[in-house]
Amino acid sequence: MYFQKKRVIAMLLAGGQGSRLKVLTEKTAKPAVPFGGKYRIIDFPLSNCVNSGIDTVGILTQYQPLELNEYIGNGQPWGLNKTHSCAQVLPPYERHDKKSGWYKGTANAIYQNIDFVDRFNPDYVVVLSGDHIYKMDYSAMVAYHEKSGASCTIAVRNVPLEEASRFGILNTNPDNTIYEFEEKPAKPKSTNASMGIYCFTWSVLREALLFDEDDPKSSNDFGKNIIPMLLAAGHKMMAYPFDGYWKDVGTIDSLWEANMELLGKNPEFQLRGGKNSTIYARNSALPSSYIDDKATVVDSFVAEGCEVYGSVKHSVISVGCTIGEGAQIEDAVIMPGVVVEAGAIVRHAILGENSKVCRNAVVGGAFKPKEKKKISVTSKGAVVEANAVLKPGDML
Amino acid sequence: MNVMGIIFTNDASLGELTNKRTMASLPFGGRYRQVDFALSNLSDAGVRHVGIISRHNYHSLMNHIGDGEEWGLELEEGGLEFLTPYAQSATHTYRGKLESLANAMDFLEIGSDDELVVMTDSAILSNIDLTAVLNAHIASGKDVTVVTKAGICNGSKVIDLAVKTGKNGEVTDMLVDYAAPADYAASMDIFVLGKQFLIRSVKELIARDKFHMDRDLVLGGWQRGVVSVNAFPFEGVAMFNESIGEFYENSLALIKPDIRKDIFDGRHPIYTKVRFRVPTYYGEDSQIDGALIADGCMVEGNVKDSVLFRNVTVEKDAEVESCIIFNDAVIGEGAELKYAILDKDVTVTPGAKLIGTRNNPVIVKRGETV
Repeated sequence: MYFQKKRVIAMLLAGGQGSRLKVLTEKTAKPAVPFGGKYRIIDFPLSNCVNSGIDTVGILTQYQPLELNEYIGNGQPWGLNKTHSCAQVLPPYERHDKKSGWYKGTANAIYQNIDFVDRFNPDYVVVLSGDHIYKMDYSAMVAYHEKSGASCTIAVRNVPLEEASRFGILNTNPDNTIYEFEEKPAKPKSTNASMGIYCFTWSVLREALLFDEDDPKSSNDFGKNIIPMLLAAGHKMMAYPFDGYWKDVGTIDSLWEANMELLGKNPEFQLRGGKNSTIYARNSALPSSYIDDKATVVDSFVAEGCEVYGSVKHSVISVGCTIGEGAQIEDAVIMPGVVVEAGAIVRHAILGENSKVCRNAVVGGAFKPKEKKKISVTSKGAVVEANAVLKPGDML
Repeated sequence: MNVMGIIFTNDASLGELTNKRTMASLPFGGRYRQVDFALSNLSDAGVRHVGIISRHNYHSLMNHIGDGEEWGLELEEGGLEFLTPYAQSATHTYRGKLESLANAMDFLEIGSDDELVVMTDSAILSNIDLTAVLNAHIASGKDVTVVTKAGICNGSKVIDLAVKTGKNGEVTDMLVDYAAPADYAASMDIFVLGKQFLIRSVKELIARDKFHMDRDLVLGGWQRGVVSVNAFPFEGVAMFNESIGEFYENSLALIKPDIRKDIFDGRHPIYTKVRFRVPTYYGEDSQIDGALIADGCMVEGNVKDSVLFRNVTVEKDAEVESCIIFNDAVIGEGAELKYAILDKDVTVTPGAKLIGTRNNPVIVKRGETV
């Protein structure tokens, strides 16, 4: 079979469990978690690839892959199903030399798929993760990488000093070359946080992966092993500053926040796409939404296939939801297929896919911005019985 | 069961709304084109070979349907075919369905001989289980099955084909192009017939210069005793969009939950071309009183008893009542619209007023600014 040579391909790390999303990822891989009414988290890096002219994407899956595989399918929603383009799901597999099995770390996941990358003989490989919400033109980063002649370029963003110790911090010279990498430093020297978006020259990365695999002490991770190794070996490494919206949605709090940041007349993150910044998603064949005359919908997103009879304020209602008469939804993220029956109250909460809140039940409490967040969460398919109470911060 | 489908795209009959499009490509229900109903019904019944017969204005239709992917019809074998008029007959358009079928003989003659043909059109919309119609046709042993809907005939609406049935559902009378009384049921222009029977009938009738499906094949054949006819009464919602008034009322009827649930029955979804849009955003001061609203809209004003298609903007303090608004319209701040149909890409400037009547809604042409 003939494979067209590609200048750039992308490898998307989508195998993580996302255990900090708790009940929301019990049965779903993090990249498949719904976001923004009609999207899933993975739609953001996938659409960014397409919008950046990258037409070949390997998607590394491991944890709970069923739903994710089904969602990606043949890549058609993102236009990745053409003759010389693909969205290839790459699960772990068995090999004759036993150098296989579960992906041991992020670098090992790429190592096990060197054959996939080699088919396209790429000059550059962009490594992405499936847990961030942002819009970015990777082609600008690749051009920056190519121009600098670096072996590796890492996208960075400025974070507040007090938060810097939660991130991988890159210490740079004034010309953006990296001289030091510190993973979650106690005393950060700079505020350049790695966004987990890497552009590698493939020949360099390929060699580094083979070398790293032979080190029994390595945990085969990009941040912990590959980046420090390349730095120590004297490779030129660049930081690529990015100042657009970028959100790690790896926790319940940040997932809720990122959904809330879509709202308002001038939202912090604009879902609406201009040219080359549309975020695509697999489409559900649902009719338009119906808003009844007893309903009120204020400062909220409502996706297709919904029936709204109750009151919705400052919330995101995903595809195929029903909000019953007299129900009140406020500061909430309602995932696809949820039913909130008449008279139920849902505030400051995330309702997981296809969960149900029965008549007059109460989920969560009023959101008070200054307090520590206590978001109530229902898992996929959970049922809050009639008249029951799910207290602030509780999970079902 | 081997079944092929034929969809007629129908002549323009809705004035300005169909000047530049067929009835098949007329937008309906917030995110659909009328042909989506026929295509989805056929696809849902497992029909994998569909011909679309169009006389003219078929470019917007081809653009919408593409290779039929959304309906599972992008197949190596069978799939979707556009049966457009031959070049030499460009000045002469088909006089009737039989003539257009005579021109599509190559399409009909493909495949096995035992096939059944489902013929359907694009002006009468329903979510119908065609498998049940096909089974009833086979069980009846008749030459033609016509799907009918009671409650449409009223003595004043002219019906293409009206069918009267006896106690056991047997056909006792038929009327063509006539304001049939209320005890007749109206044909939904959905027919099932054997392929060989259809081919034979078309050839014979065209040879006698007969080209009208309802009058010559169904009624004429039945009267001459050479065609046996079975009626299949449809119980669900059928929308006869044969005039602007009907199109307007049927569109607004989608606001009623029972009608909406019938025609968009979740077990048999209506598929349409994907046009990716963000979810609809409702602003701080928006007020919605019974409306069907598609994705990609921005609603800051008030909307009552209306259908909004994709990507419609309703600015602050604008009032929209009993309106059908096709995609990409912008309704400016403080504008007032009542009893209106806005075609695609219409701009209503801030403060403008546009008020029709229930029986005579104002129509704004595509791309116009009010």
